[in-house]
Amino acid sequence: MLFQLVLSGIAQGSIYALVALGMTILFRATTIVNFGHGEFFMLGAFLVYVLLHVVGLPFLPAALLAIVLMFLLGMGLERGLFRPMGESAPHISLAMMTVAFSFLFRGIARLFWGREVYPMPSVFSYPPIEVAGLIVTSQDLIIAGTTLLLVLLFFVFFRYTRLGRLAQATSQTARGASLVGINVPLVHGGMWGTAAAIGAIAGILVAPITLLYPDMGGQILIRSFAAMTLGGFGHLGGAVVGGLLMGVMEQLAGGYISTALIDIFAFLVIIVVLLVKPSGLFGRREAAHV
Amino acid sequence: MSELTEVTRQQARPGVRLQRCAVAALLALALLLVPLVTNDYTQYVVNSILVYALAAVGFNVVLGYLGQLAFANAAFFGIGAYTVALLMHYAALPFPLALGGSAVTGALVGLVVGLPALRLKGYYLAIVTLVFGELMRWAYVHGGDITKGSGGLPVPEAAMFGVVADTDKAKYYVILAVVAAVIWSTNRILRSRVGRAFVAIRENELACASLGISPGRYKVIAFVWSGLVVAVAGGLFAILLGRISPESFNLHQLLLHFAIVMIGGIGSLVGSIMGAVLLTAAPEILRNFPGLEEIIFSLLLIAVLLFLPRGLAGLAARLVPALKERLYRE
Amino acid sequence: MALLSIKGVTVKFSGLTALSDVSFDIEPGRVHAVIGPNGAGKSTLFNVITGYISMTEGEVWFEGQKLNGLRPHTIACRGMRRTFQNGGIFAEMTVLENVLTGLAQVTASSIAGLAVGMPAAYRAEMAAMRRACDLMRLMGISELADRPAKDLSSGQQRLVEITRALATEARLLLLDEPAVGLSVQDRENLMAVLRKLAARGVALLLVEHSIDLVMAISDRIVVLNHGQVIADGEPAEIRTHDAVLEAYLGRN
Repeated sequence: MLFQLVLSGIAQGSIYALVALGMTILFRATTIVNFGHGEFFMLGAFLVYVLLHVVGLPFLPAALLAIVLMFLLGMGLERGLFRPMGESAPHISLAMMTVAFSFLFRGIARLFWGREVYPMPSVFSYPPIEVAGLIVTSQDLIIAGTTLLLVLLFFVFFRYTRLGRLAQATSQTARGASLVGINVPLVHGGMWGTAAAIGAIAGILVAPITLLYPDMGGQILIRSFAAMTLGGFGHLGGAVVGGLLMGVMEQLAGGYISTALIDIFAFLVIIVVLLVKPSGLFGRREAAHV
Repeated sequence: MSELTEVTRQQARPGVRLQRCAVAALLALALLLVPLVTNDYTQYVVNSILVYALAAVGFNVVLGYLGQLAFANAAFFGIGAYTVALLMHYAALPFPLALGGSAVTGALVGLVVGLPALRLKGYYLAIVTLVFGELMRWAYVHGGDITKGSGGLPVPEAAMFGVVADTDKAKYYVILAVVAAVIWSTNRILRSRVGRAFVAIRENELACASLGISPGRYKVIAFVWSGLVVAVAGGLFAILLGRISPESFNLHQLLLHFAIVMIGGIGSLVGSIMGAVLLTAAPEILRNFPGLEEIIFSLLLIAVLLFLPRGLAGLAARLVPALKERLYRE
Repeated sequence: MALLSIKGVTVKFSGLTALSDVSFDIEPGRVHAVIGPNGAGKSTLFNVITGYISMTEGEVWFEGQKLNGLRPHTIACRGMRRTFQNGGIFAEMTVLENVLTGLAQVTASSIAGLAVGMPAAYRAEMAAMRRACDLMRLMGISELADRPAKDLSSGQQRLVEITRALATEARLLLLDEPAVGLSVQDRENLMAVLRKLAARGVALLLVEHSIDLVMAISDRIVVLNHGQVIADGEPAEIRTHDAVLEAYLGRN
């Protein structure tokens, strides 16, 4: 049972890792903490649902189209909401703006899809594989595999490509970057788009096995915060590790202690980590306050 | 004339004092006569406006005056509501005592939230308070027989001075009295050395310390007062609805309070009242269209963040300069 | 007895020694200045004295009491106040509110009293108001009372900050580069104000870049270089001190 729980924990944790990764990329690039990130997840799932069932596309094109649309949405948000606020906007206002669009997207989702909950018929109907007495569903494999792929992709992108290093430079010093000729707003737009796309991918991966409802973003937001806090806020690797750990620990706690604990596990992690070691596992030890 | 000292300055001039008394008297009369022009439904809406105005005022103390991004309002609101409901249901306490109980729990929880606020950097505090609210909601759902879980806990009718407030019009006077008193108290605190300390901490914490103001102490005071006020609002909410359930205190509720404060005008008490009027009356009209309320509020919120940083209060101050000193300094 | 006594203060962080065995005294009612080239450790010294940074070694004594380890607001309550280099005024408040905030420590209105509307609380606030008005009149900024602080010029803002710091009759005022960025006229005003303060018996400790200003109003000057005291004496001595000239002009 232990290994089964760990396996499903890894699959679940991969989702958290993806969302946390997207949030961390955005945070590193723009210093904005995105309270609306859960809505990217939700929109990704709903978009793919619409493309599959209303437009009638097959899964893979629907997924790709949804990702592209979300990328554009992310860029649009940067252009329309955040660029006008300017570079020197206080962080509190920027965070408030993320709360505002979170509210907006929930409302839009609720408008179109009402108060109901939508099941999506299973997309991957391959039979589960059995490995050493453990059952691995195809969904789990796909989720974990995609996450691994994406994480590697981003690692390579940021470290070894020119564009990636450009993005890193911009996140370290926007003013310095623009002095060197980098189009900072464009890079920020790209980061927003990337973050939205990654969040959407998580939503798309999970959509076939979850019920969709307009408020589903809220749950994932908190778990993602837990992952980031555990791993060290702002640390890319930490977000991924934190997400995976969260997934595994949640399943273990639910399996061995009580299923009611799964709901609040993320809350407890956040509170405990912030009280004991606010910098998390990999974060730098900064002075928490003056 | 400036907002934080206006009260004391104005008191010094007798002619102005008389004028203010006359205005206050007229306002009081108008408020007392409201039930004459409403039916049960509109009375309910007015009652809701009052409750939300109080919740927004409490939120504003921390969000606007102290300037900290703390999302504990749903938690305070819920704790106040459940305290009143539980005390009246199980301990058969009369409403005034139950409400006092919620004030106490609100203040205590404010203390619990305020202490981590001293150590945690901006966004960490926002996350922790958000999480705390969800944790409380889980507690209501899983409170077994005590909180009656998701089904909801019925709230007995409030009785004051032997009279049972069982109609919306009767409830109005109870709610009005409490809301008016607590907002008045809050106003006095904000227009004093305490309120100035809050704003000073928001503006420049290092400079505060150099003036002998302990930022830690005043931050805790702000959270305690905010908790108290919002919990009292929650207690009134319980009376208003007659039945409370955990779903009433979720993120949606928090976002609603947030929108009221921001759109009304962050850092303006009158703004919070204006925001409550606008945003509470509206949903009743929009009730048939799910999601429309959120869309409109969030668009207003975005508009405020981009174009109207002072919200409705700032707008009013610009349109009617004579009111400037009462609403905002510009 | 010396008002303020710095004894052997050493400050090290991250392998860097910002201050090394700094010692000097400040007498009541006199004007002292700390000067030195950039990076000499002047700001660090200020922050150590006022409790914003902790020292690695050494002691700071004020009016016979040790200040080591005390928080900045505690130190401020003991009669030592400071101003800040990059504007410590509260921009969104009016001048009057800024000055009133300076009086927070001595405004006796209790929270309960305010909440319930007790006359004692109201009287305490009125008393603070009167004191604030007196202070502003003394410092010549009464007409600015209701102006938002962010609308003022640098010179005016400095004045407001000093007024605010004076509110509780501090015995020692530490002024962090009060003259930086000021016009000639504002500088003259500032010097007049500083002389007025000294005449009232307030001891001043200035950190300043402007040698002229320092020479003109100081009774005693301490010169820092690379975190160490290289000279401590009256302006006339310092003007011709070898080590000082070398520090500022370099080896020729």
